[in-house]
Order: sequence, then C-alpha cells, then structure tokens
Amino acid sequence: MWKVTIKGLLAHKLRFVLTGIAVILGIAFLSGTLVLTATIENTFDNLFTEIYEGTDVQVRGVEPVDSSFFGETPRTPVTEAMLQTVLGVDGVAVASPSVEVPYAQIIGADSEPIGGGGPPTFGVSYEENAALNPLQLQPGSAAPTSDDQIVIDKGSADEGDLAVGDRATVLTQQPPKEYEIVGIATFGSTDSPLGATIVQFTLPEAQRLIDLPADQFSNIGVVAVEGVSEDELAQRIRSALSAENVEVVTGKQLTEESQDDVDQFLSIFNRILIVFAAVALFVSCFIIYNTFTIVVTQRTREMALLRAIGASTRQVTTSIILEALVVGVVASLLGFGAGILLAGVLKALLDAIGFDIPASDIVIPPNALIASLIVGTLVTVFSAIVPARKASRVPPVAAMRDVAVERRAGFGRRTVIGLAITSLGIAAVLFALFGSPDNALGILGVGVLAIFIGVFVLGPVIARPVSRVLGAPLPKIKGMTGTLARENAIRNPRRTAATASALMIGVALVGFITIFAASAKASIGVTLDRELQTDYVITAGSGFGATALSPDLARQVSELPEIAAATGVRYAGADVNGDSQFITAFDTSVTSELLDLGVDEGSLEDLTVDGVAVTREWADDNDVAIGDVLMMTFPASGDVPMTVQAIYEGSEIGMTGDFVMSLEAFDTHYLPQQRLDFFVLATLAEGVSAAEGREAIDAILVDYPTAELRDNAEFKDLQEQAINQVVNLVYGLLFLAVVIALIGIANTLALSIYERRRELGLLRAVGMSRSQVRSSVRWESVIIAVFGTLLGLIIGLFFGWSAVRAVREEGFTEFAAAPGQLLIVVVVAAVAGVLAAYFPARRASKLDILESIATE
Amino acid sequence: MGDVTTTVPPITTVAARAVQATKYYGTGENEVHALDGVDIEFNRQQFTAIMGPSGSGKSTLLHCIAGLDRLTSGEVWLGDVQLGQLSEKELTKLRRDRVGFVFQAFNLIPTLTAIENITLPSALAGHDPDKEWLDRVVDTTGLRDRLSHRPSELSGGQQQRVAVARALATRPEIIFADEPTGNLDSRASAEILAFMKRAVSEFGQTIVMVTHDPISASYSERVVFLVDGKIVDEIHGPTADAVLDKMRQLGD
Repeated sequence: MWKVTIKGLLAHKLRFVLTGIAVILGIAFLSGTLVLTATIENTFDNLFTEIYEGTDVQVRGVEPVDSSFFGETPRTPVTEAMLQTVLGVDGVAVASPSVEVPYAQIIGADSEPIGGGGPPTFGVSYEENAALNPLQLQPGSAAPTSDDQIVIDKGSADEGDLAVGDRATVLTQQPPKEYEIVGIATFGSTDSPLGATIVQFTLPEAQRLIDLPADQFSNIGVVAVEGVSEDELAQRIRSALSAENVEVVTGKQLTEESQDDVDQFLSIFNRILIVFAAVALFVSCFIIYNTFTIVVTQRTREMALLRAIGASTRQVTTSIILEALVVGVVASLLGFGAGILLAGVLKALLDAIGFDIPASDIVIPPNALIASLIVGTLVTVFSAIVPARKASRVPPVAAMRDVAVERRAGFGRRTVIGLAITSLGIAAVLFALFGSPDNALGILGVGVLAIFIGVFVLGPVIARPVSRVLGAPLPKIKGMTGTLARENAIRNPRRTAATASALMIGVALVGFITIFAASAKASIGVTLDRELQTDYVITAGSGFGATALSPDLARQVSELPEIAAATGVRYAGADVNGDSQFITAFDTSVTSELLDLGVDEGSLEDLTVDGVAVTREWADDNDVAIGDVLMMTFPASGDVPMTVQAIYEGSEIGMTGDFVMSLEAFDTHYLPQQRLDFFVLATLAEGVSAAEGREAIDAILVDYPTAELRDNAEFKDLQEQAINQVVNLVYGLLFLAVVIALIGIANTLALSIYERRRELGLLRAVGMSRSQVRSSVRWESVIIAVFGTLLGLIIGLFFGWSAVRAVREEGFTEFAAAPGQLLIVVVVAAVAGVLAAYFPARRASKLDILESIATE
Repeated sequence: MGDVTTTVPPITTVAARAVQATKYYGTGENEVHALDGVDIEFNRQQFTAIMGPSGSGKSTLLHCIAGLDRLTSGEVWLGDVQLGQLSEKELTKLRRDRVGFVFQAFNLIPTLTAIENITLPSALAGHDPDKEWLDRVVDTTGLRDRLSHRPSELSGGQQQRVAVARALATRPEIIFADEPTGNLDSRASAEILAFMKRAVSEFGQTIVMVTHDPISASYSERVVFLVDGKIVDEIHGPTADAVLDKMRQLGD
C-alpha cells in the first residue's frame, strides 16, 4: 500500500501542504518555546558559572522564613567575628566580606532612571579581590575609595550617557544621594548581565544604605589556597563556625542553587507558553481532521476501486493513516525548524525590551526535536483516524456509480451525543469553579475540552439553520452571488461545522479573556472607589517589574502641611503556624484616612508591635478569634508570638492579603534591607485643593524620578492598563490559534472549490463574471467565519460568566459582557473570513471553464 | 460598433459564423489541429447539428463559437460582434445576455431550485426575467409543478428540460447544445429533442447542437460533418438513416 500512499500524497500536494501548515505552526510554537527556554537556561547557567567562578566557599546567613513572594527572601547578616574566625581557618587564601544593596537605581544624565522594568537594579560593595569580583574595571577607571564614589556597569553608563568623572544620583532605601562615578566595569564579554544595572559602593557606604552596622555583612566570599578543594575548605569552615547560625556553601553549590532558581522560574514561563502551543495544536487537529475527511470524500471512487480490485478495509485504512504519518513527520520536522527561527524572533523581542541575553547562540535541546516529532506526528495521525475509517467503509460498488457526497442520516444520534458531551463539559466546568474539588484545574481542563468537543459534534446539526439565518440578508444585498454564497455555506453542514469549530476555539478563548478582563476592570473601578479613602497613590514606575520606593519619600509626603495622612505600603512573607503567609504593612495609626478594609472587631489604629490583624475568612478557616496568639516566624526577629488584635473583611482590590501589621512592627520583625515601599498612599488635608496638593507632592518627587503621582482616577487607569497588558499578551499568544483556524477555512474552501469546479465552470459559462465568483466565495467564507465566531463567543461568554462568578469573593463584583468588544471580534472575524477566502476565491475565478465542464 | 453610418443595422440571416477558424493545441511534434481552417455559417431560426467522430473537433468548434474558448487564428462572429476582439469581461457578458447553453451533464447548480436555475443568467445580470416569456417557457417544458425542486429531486430528463428552459429564458440570439441527450434514455432524449425542435419552429430560436447520435441529428434541419478539424460535408433535412449512411461513408 506504500505505493498508493505516496501516489496519493503526490497527487494532492496542495491539500497536504495546507494540512501541513496547521501542524507546522503548532509545532513551531512548541519547539520555539523549548528552544527559547533552553537558550535562556543555558545563558543563566553560564552567567552564574561566571559569577561564582572565583568563589570557592561562601559563608552566608540563613533564611529564617522559607517563603519568597518577591524574589529571594533576605538572609540574616554575618558578622565581623565570623570573618575573623574564617580568616583563621587553615587553607583560606582570601576571605572578604560583601554587602548587597537590593535596590539601587541609577539616574542618567537626562534625569531618567536607567534600566529597570524587569531586569534587576541593585548594588553591591566593591570587591578588591579579582577572583571574587565578576566585574572588570575598564581602562581609565578606579575603585571607589570614599562614600560618594561608585563604579557602575558599562550598559548603564552607555544608556544613561554617563562617563568616568560624571556625577549621578542613585535611589536606594535611603534618601536620594549624588555620587561621583570613578569607574565603569564590564561583565565578562558583555556590558551588563541580562540588562541588570549594577552599582558598586564602598563597603561602609553599602552598609549605611541598608542600615547595617559596621560589623555586619551580607556574606563572606572565600578563596582557597592552592591544593585545598572547595568541599574540603567548606567542611573546615563549617566546623570552625559550628556555634553560629550560618550556612557554608561551595561555589559549585551557589552556582547550582542560582541555576535551579532560574530553571524553576523558567518552567512556569515554559508551561504558560506550552499551554498556548497546546491550544494551537488542538485547533490544528480540527483542520487535519477536516482536510482528511474532505480528501477521503473526494477520493471515494478511488477507494471503492481499490476495494473492488481486492484491497481489504484494513489496507484502505492503513493507506490513509500512512499518508497522515508522512504528513505528520514532514510537518513536524518543518515545524521544529520553524520553531528555531521563532525562538530567535522571541529572543530578539526580549533584547528589544531590555533583556540583553548575553549568549548569542541558540541552544537546541534534543528533547525539542523529540517532542516536536512525537507530538506533531501523533496529532496528525490521531486526527486522521476517523476519516481513514470512513474511507475503509466505502463499498466497492461505489466505484461504479456517481457518488452522492452528502449523507443526511445520523443527525438524531449526533444531537444526543453532542448534547450529552456538552452538558457533561458544562457540569465539569461549574463543578470545578464552584464545587472547590481537590483537582479543580484538571477537572476544569477536561470540562473545557468536553465543551469544545461537544459543540464540535453538535456543529453539523446547527450549522444549517444558523448559517441560513446568517446568510439571510445576502440574497438581498448581493443578489444571485449572495444566494450562491449562502447555499454553498449550508450545503455541507459537516464541513462547515468542522471548519468553523477550529475558529470557535480561538474565539472562545479570546471572548473569555475579553469578558474576564472587562469584568476585572469594572470591578476594580467599583471596589477602588469604595476601598480607597485616599486622594493620591504614588507608585514606583508602572506596569510589571515596577521598582521600589525609599521610605524617605512617604516620610516627606506625610510631613507636608497639605497632606492629612500618608503612608508607604510594604509587602513581605512570614510563616504562621508553619504556613507561608503574605504580610501587608502600612501606617495603621491613620488607617481610617487611607483604606476601608471593613474592620469587624478591634481596630487597626491600635495595632502594636507584637500584634496583627487578620481577615474574617482566615480567622474563620483557622478557628482564630480576637486575642488569640499566633506563632509567627520573621526574617529578623525569628519566632515571635503575635496577638490577633483586629479582624477585617479584606481588600477586594488586592491592597492587602490576610495579614496586616503596622510599620513599626515591620521594622522590628523584618531585616533592614526589606524597608522599601511598594507605593505610597496620601490623603489631602481639609480645605486643600487637588491642584495645591499635587504641586506640593510634585516638589518632593523631583528627587525621585521613578515615582509617579496619580489621583484615584488615574490609579484606576493604571490598574486597567496593567490588565490590558496581560490581555494583549494573551491575545498575542492566541493569535496563532486563530491564524491556524483561518488557514483551515482557506483549506476547506480550496478543497470545496476543487470539488465544485464543474459547477463553477457552468456558472462561468452561463455568464457569471470572475468578480461575481470571487465575491461568492468571499461571502461563503464570511458566513463560515462568523458562524465559528458566534459559537466561540457563546462558549466564551459562558466561560467568562462562570469564571467571574467563581471569583466573586476575590473582588470580582461586576460581570461585564463587553458587548462592544465582542462585536469588534465578530467584525474582525468577518474581515478575517474575507482574507482567508482570498486565494481560494482567486483560484475559483481563474478556473478554466472548458476543463470544468468538459465531460470525461 | 462605433462608426455606424447606416440608420438601419444590417439585416442578415446569419446568427453566427466562423471564418478560417483554426485551433491548435500543444506545440512542435505534439501539435494537434483541433480546427483546421473552418468556414461555416449558422442561420437564424434554424436547428443545426454538428456531427463527427470523436476527436473531429466538433466540441471545440462549438466552444469557440460560443465564446467559451478562443481561436488560434481566424474569426468568429456572433451577429455583428467579432468574439476575438472582446475582453474576458465582455465575453462573460455576451454569454450571459446573448447566448444560451445546454451541456451533457452538470447543467444545473445543485444548491439552487429549478426556477432559480432557469432564471440564473438574468439573476447574475441583476435584472428581473421577462415574466410572461418565462411562464410560456415553463409551461412549454412542463415544469410548472417542479419549480421549487432541487436538481437532486428531479429525473435526468427533467434536469435537461430545466437546462433547456434556462437556455431559452433569456431569449438568446443563439443556443449551443453539447450532447444534450448524451446521458438520457431514448424516451427522455426524444422528449428533449422534440422540445428543442419546437423552440426553433414556434419561438424562432436558433440552435446549434453537437452530437454523435444519428437519431438526435435527425431532429435538426441541417447536419454539418466535421472530420479532423475540417468541414467535409453537410445534409439538409436529414433522416436518421441518411445521417448514418454519411457517417459510415466518412468512417471509411
């Protein structure tokens, strides 16, 4: 049967190219993701290897709280006494203390902040020993020797137009300070690693910046004498420091730890992209299924002939499956190749937004090739199984007669099965969202899948009536051309439905995201007005990766006569009875002027240093009442009994989590380097106009170029922008699924036109013009596209509604159906239908009339 | 048609004609002369049959005169229009408004009803059909109770009647029929052919039909014989036997 398979493929090149494209795009996304992740992983691996190359052993503090909400949890400091002990250990060649400044933002010559918005901006004490310092001073540079001298990385110097001898302001958790740049350093072969901006201070200055006493450091870097191994030296230092609460790790361990952290982060990134690749591949399944079904139908006579001359049903099935196998393998390989290019494009995009990935070489992991081949081939073959079985059921006698293409029977059973699957899917989705089962995400996924498949099964039943209604105005607008378009769209409801289903999936997800985002925006508007009692919000930048603010800013603002109350808001992690919890801290003494958190019992104003407030929900879930004592663990103060002094409803805009404490308590229980505000809330004093208040605050913000002042309406806009950013990202990732669906429409049309070439020839013979033919195909495409879009929107509306209802407690008080945006989706789909029809329509209008009508 | 000097258009009895029409396919050694210098005129209100063995070029001749295909050299005139000078668009318009077609098979659009098929050309042109004329055509063809049926619900003979009705509906200057009874049994064939004959005698239609069947040809008034792309003979007022004799003669 191989010969038949190969001949079949060659004879229908175009259709298989079209089928292949669907697989290629889906696989390209998959392999692109794997290649990109591997490339980034490799880049970071090399980076950390380079950073810790000269470090044999590091002595560092412990992480008292095993939770990290925002990057790495700070460690306790190490002391001068420990340093002396380490220096006394046999085999230590160099032991040098280092201080890390978690936030250090350089301001460029143009008064604009450098970098940020993703890549870190941090500082570190200048390290004299070259083995321990991964940065190399450029010619003409010097090491910082006084408290107002710094070295900065070359990437930042170039971006901020700064040179040796210039003065530049650096923002830290202390008030802004101007420094003299005495040196510019490179990092290996790159100007700055991964777009980070790095400031090197003198050790005492770094200590001052994070409120560290002169005899405390972040860690101690150690270089071994020749002949002593890392492990050996670490062991010796460990026993010398056995009385202290510190960790002693080798350079190799440090490297691996950091690499693991990145890998963990990337695996999340990876999983998100793979979900979208899966969506694209799921859509591809429909296209492949449809193409094979049409091709098998068109080849009914050929199949019948094969059967008539003695091929078994099995041999016919096998020949179709083999075709799918060849298409799958070839398309997977091409998709894999396209994925490598796609990874390159993604990498270039990252470069463009500031993630300067130093490694220029793309890493192609073997698993990307294996995954591409297996997934692509399986998807193709799996999608061809049903059409192949259909082909095998062609009776030999069909070779002798003209075949009726359309089968009409079977809609009754189809309706029952389709409704059953859809209902099960709906039930599963609702149960997952509202029944809070253990494996909610899994059940949700199965439910969503079932709904898509159920509607796909139902598709042919509803395709005819729905398309008829959609196409109803066409005969009036376009005359005979419109009538033909409508009739062609409904003549084969199975085909129309299968084609539309592919688009349905993408549109359902687009619709869901649109509704969810619109509801989120509407809810934020409502809850923000209710909850925020303040007039202004000051944030550090906008969007993702927004940096931090010095507490000095909130202090200055609160001292303004125009301001009644102001506070910085901070977040950190703590362990409560062994569980990680999210802590919010602000100036609780003026809560009533700032936030309405719905306090039930006690009062936030009266919170003491050893007191916390918890939400009603958490208190109920954990059987906690006011006055109860919780055992909590903090980075600085360790295990501390904290009293529940107030219970509140919670913040629907996500201003707080389940725990609130005062700023005094925060300063007591957290490490000095954690004293950074995420934003500042401020309320105007009585009788002060908005303009006066803004002017007063702006005068302070001059020194803080990263800070942005917004009134509540503007803050609302900012939240909406943040939502829009996520939504646009998701739209972008779903774009591919929609493109694949459009290729599916083009594919179906092309095959249908091939099937109808005689009819088209006749139409042309009796006087249909080429433009009328094109118009007819275009409108047919529009009907299919709009049909798929409507199915998708109905499903999307259901997803959106149930998801918004499920998270009502989380602040989603409003359900917004976003009719305007959904209408735009329909219009875009119609336009996309026109685009998808471009080539098929051209082909149809250029058919040779004689060839089309010639009798064989 | 720009510089008409006479006030009265030239009245001719010729509906269509070909002058030194040649049509070659392929090049070099593979060159096939489908038409090799054909000169022929088709008179108005006459039923002409074109006959010849397969490969004689009879279908090619029909396609070229009907504006479905272009000549390699020579001229084809439909009334006072020379087809070779028309653009693709003008040809389409000409086929729609001035020519009727009946093919052997695939004559009807399966998604349209009988009446929609009959009025298809005028619908494509965007104007309403002549109601009175349409009624007459429908009644003559006996399709009155079948008008809302789709082709799949009609017999082969009924389908061809719909095709003929469509060809007549626009009152074209000439109707071209390519083996119109090729797929029909003898009874249905006789019905269609008798009907075409009536269209000529009663409505004054002009019909040119390609066929290889002597009985079909006997319904016409004039039979033209084509062999190897050349006109070799013709018979006026043919009988089936006369046509058959001539065919045997040419076959030798």
